[in-house]
Amino acid sequence: MTALALEMRGISKTFPGVRALSGVDLLVKRGTVHAIVGENGAGKSTLMKILSGLYPPSAGEIRIDGGLATIASSADALRRGIAMVHQELNLAPDLTVAENVFLGRTPRRGPFVDRTALRQGARAILADLGTRLDPDARLGSLTISQRQLVEIAKAHAARPRIVVLDEPTSSLSEHKAQALFEVIARMKAAGTAILYISHRLREVLAIADEVTVLRDGALAGARSREGLTAAEMIRLMVGREVSELFPKRAATIGAPLLQVEGLADGGRVTGVSLEVRAGEIVGLTGLVGAGRSEVARAIVDLGPRAAGTIRVGGRSVSPRSPAEALAAGIAYVPEDRKGEGIVPTLTVRENVTLPMLAGLSRLGWVRSGAERRVARAETQRLGVSPADPEHRIGTLSGGNQQKVVIARWLAARPSVLILDEPTRGVDVGAKAEIHAIIGDLVAEGMGVLMISSEMPEVMAVSDRVVVMHEGRAAPALERGELDERRIMALATGEARI
Amino acid sequence: MTAVPASQTRHGSTTPLRAAGAMALPVAILAVLVLGILVSPSFLTLGNLLNVATSMSILGIVVVAMTFVLVSGGLADLSVPATVAMGAILALALQPALGTAAAFVLAVAAAGMAGVLNGVLIGYARINAIIATLATGTVILGIAQWAVGGVIVYGSDPASADLIKGRVAGIPVLVIIFLVVAVAGHLLLDRTVWGRHTRATGDSPPAATAAAVPVRRIKAGAFALTGLAGGLSGGLLGLTLQSARPMVGQGYEFDAITAVVVGGVSILGGQGSVPRAVGGLVFVQLLANVMTLAGIRTPVQGLVLGLLIIAAVALDILVRRRGGA
Repeated sequence: MTALALEMRGISKTFPGVRALSGVDLLVKRGTVHAIVGENGAGKSTLMKILSGLYPPSAGEIRIDGGLATIASSADALRRGIAMVHQELNLAPDLTVAENVFLGRTPRRGPFVDRTALRQGARAILADLGTRLDPDARLGSLTISQRQLVEIAKAHAARPRIVVLDEPTSSLSEHKAQALFEVIARMKAAGTAILYISHRLREVLAIADEVTVLRDGALAGARSREGLTAAEMIRLMVGREVSELFPKRAATIGAPLLQVEGLADGGRVTGVSLEVRAGEIVGLTGLVGAGRSEVARAIVDLGPRAAGTIRVGGRSVSPRSPAEALAAGIAYVPEDRKGEGIVPTLTVRENVTLPMLAGLSRLGWVRSGAERRVARAETQRLGVSPADPEHRIGTLSGGNQQKVVIARWLAARPSVLILDEPTRGVDVGAKAEIHAIIGDLVAEGMGVLMISSEMPEVMAVSDRVVVMHEGRAAPALERGELDERRIMALATGEARI
Repeated sequence: MTAVPASQTRHGSTTPLRAAGAMALPVAILAVLVLGILVSPSFLTLGNLLNVATSMSILGIVVVAMTFVLVSGGLADLSVPATVAMGAILALALQPALGTAAAFVLAVAAAGMAGVLNGVLIGYARINAIIATLATGTVILGIAQWAVGGVIVYGSDPASADLIKGRVAGIPVLVIIFLVVAVAGHLLLDRTVWGRHTRATGDSPPAATAAAVPVRRIKAGAFALTGLAGGLSGGLLGLTLQSARPMVGQGYEFDAITAVVVGGVSILGGQGSVPRAVGGLVFVQLLANVMTLAGIRTPVQGLVLGLLIIAAVALDILVRRRGGA
């Protein structure tokens, strides 16, 4: 028997057109906490999806307790002793704590639930983890941090060899996180190997025994905790050459177009202030869950807005719908292109003209000649392929769909365009084209707020960068002071906002 | 990515399955016509066909509006029997006081207000459409019954019945009214901002919202339209029959939904057109006529129609899964 609970060696994963992982090694010892860190898109979740049987690896081998293993499905992963605790909790709010802990494995007596065994079993597991939760409490009555413990107890109840905790503290305050760390310590003492995925580097240093750093789908380094510092981890996470994929166009920067002050969404986002000037691209970055999209959605009223003032061209506005935001001069292109961007069964023409159709009509009657002209002009300007706007948008490639969704807003001539992850999931060529389009728009005097998780993109395209961490925004960094390590330090909370 | 000629993509036949779906209805109508000719010599007579056309016209008005409900993703309006009854009862009950024309207009307007109420509950308060319309239908019917006191209301202007039952250039007036409503409904859905917004809302409510479409108003509008259509339908029915019972509209919701769904309008929203729904109506009504002429009893007819709905919805879901974007 080896001391390694899990060995993943030479793991590669290719998706059509994208190499998500190349030759990654991950060696996890029994009874240790092993942290995996890396930027958004470094390959952490792909690696975990392979471990949990959601994807088969394109190459490489997995050994569990020394034995070669093929993990075919998530049920298979569970059978082999791999338990996942996800960021989004998979619990039933109307069941009790005990019922949730044994969800899917409810003890029975004949056809009936064995209530005694259920309650006692749950009590034992909760006590084992050192928590004092009432097994009979309804899950919905618990706080988020307590629910998290229930989720972990549910994983622990299966007596797994390996537990994967994916961003377990992302929704917890530091104080609440302490309770979680005690639970982790108990699981570790019981000999369970814990894979700990987190963006909070300080936390990683506090609880991990070993750390694996991924960067751009490859192994950037594997270190033991002794002697490891946050600065070293950041260096490993970002240590790449900034490529010249994203050429920056010069534009004259003018007066402020969008001024946001003290914005809050009633949840995690508080006191966010930022400014976008004419001819300027402001990058809004941060780690997943930092609240970037929430800021944009609060501005255009797609999401809640609890506090804050918004001014467009100096005039105070308070849009109560995306339509009102557009009338005030703010357009927003959402992150979820498939769910919130395209209207799939409408044609490219119909998608382009959707927000401005009233302007292309007389007494509610669509002027089809004018509509066709606008659709053709805007799609040509952005180089949408195929050129014929009568195709259903659902048949276009991702990059072209994105161009259509951007084109939709251009004819309305907004003064500020907010783009949420405009190049996510599009190929490299389309990405460059979209960057060129953004460059053209600011050259015409528009202001662009671009949300992006991709550091090279943010660094290359932005005139200024606002970094968010846990709902708060740092003062904008000027282009001259952009530095990947500095941004990463702000995003991970190493540098105080 | 496959490039498909624009003519094929416009209303969305990008797959063989979709193409087959578009052709299925005309073929089915043709098949029923042939079947009718074989079953009964009285089927292909001007009298019988005009009868079918007249009897489908009153229902057809509701079918046109119901198309908007389904396309906007609003599921269905189950309060139709109530708005039809409201239209019929008020159109007759108010005749002595207001005169025929004013009573008719007021009856339609009142039913339209009931539709607006549905729209507010569904579009703005976001109550499930099935529950909301089931509830408002019961309430409206109750108010209508209570307001007229008795059980049956009779007309007091027989001349109006003659007008409605008459013909212009050999075409029954009811059929002309239906055709006008159908053409107007088609243009509304196909050519106006409202129509485009209705399709976008039904296809993807989040995307429509993000694209500045007034989704709540669009959803509400579809139900206001079925209210108006129910009132118009009921008013015409009342004038034709010269009597109105509270249960006069019973079954209209089922028959309208059957026609729309069999016509290939998606219950999932976003896809469908008035001509398709009218095609579904023609098919179902001809089939019912043929079955009657063939001496098939009513329970069996109901069975056939029920199976038709299931088949149409199953086909729609299959097409969406296979050929959908």
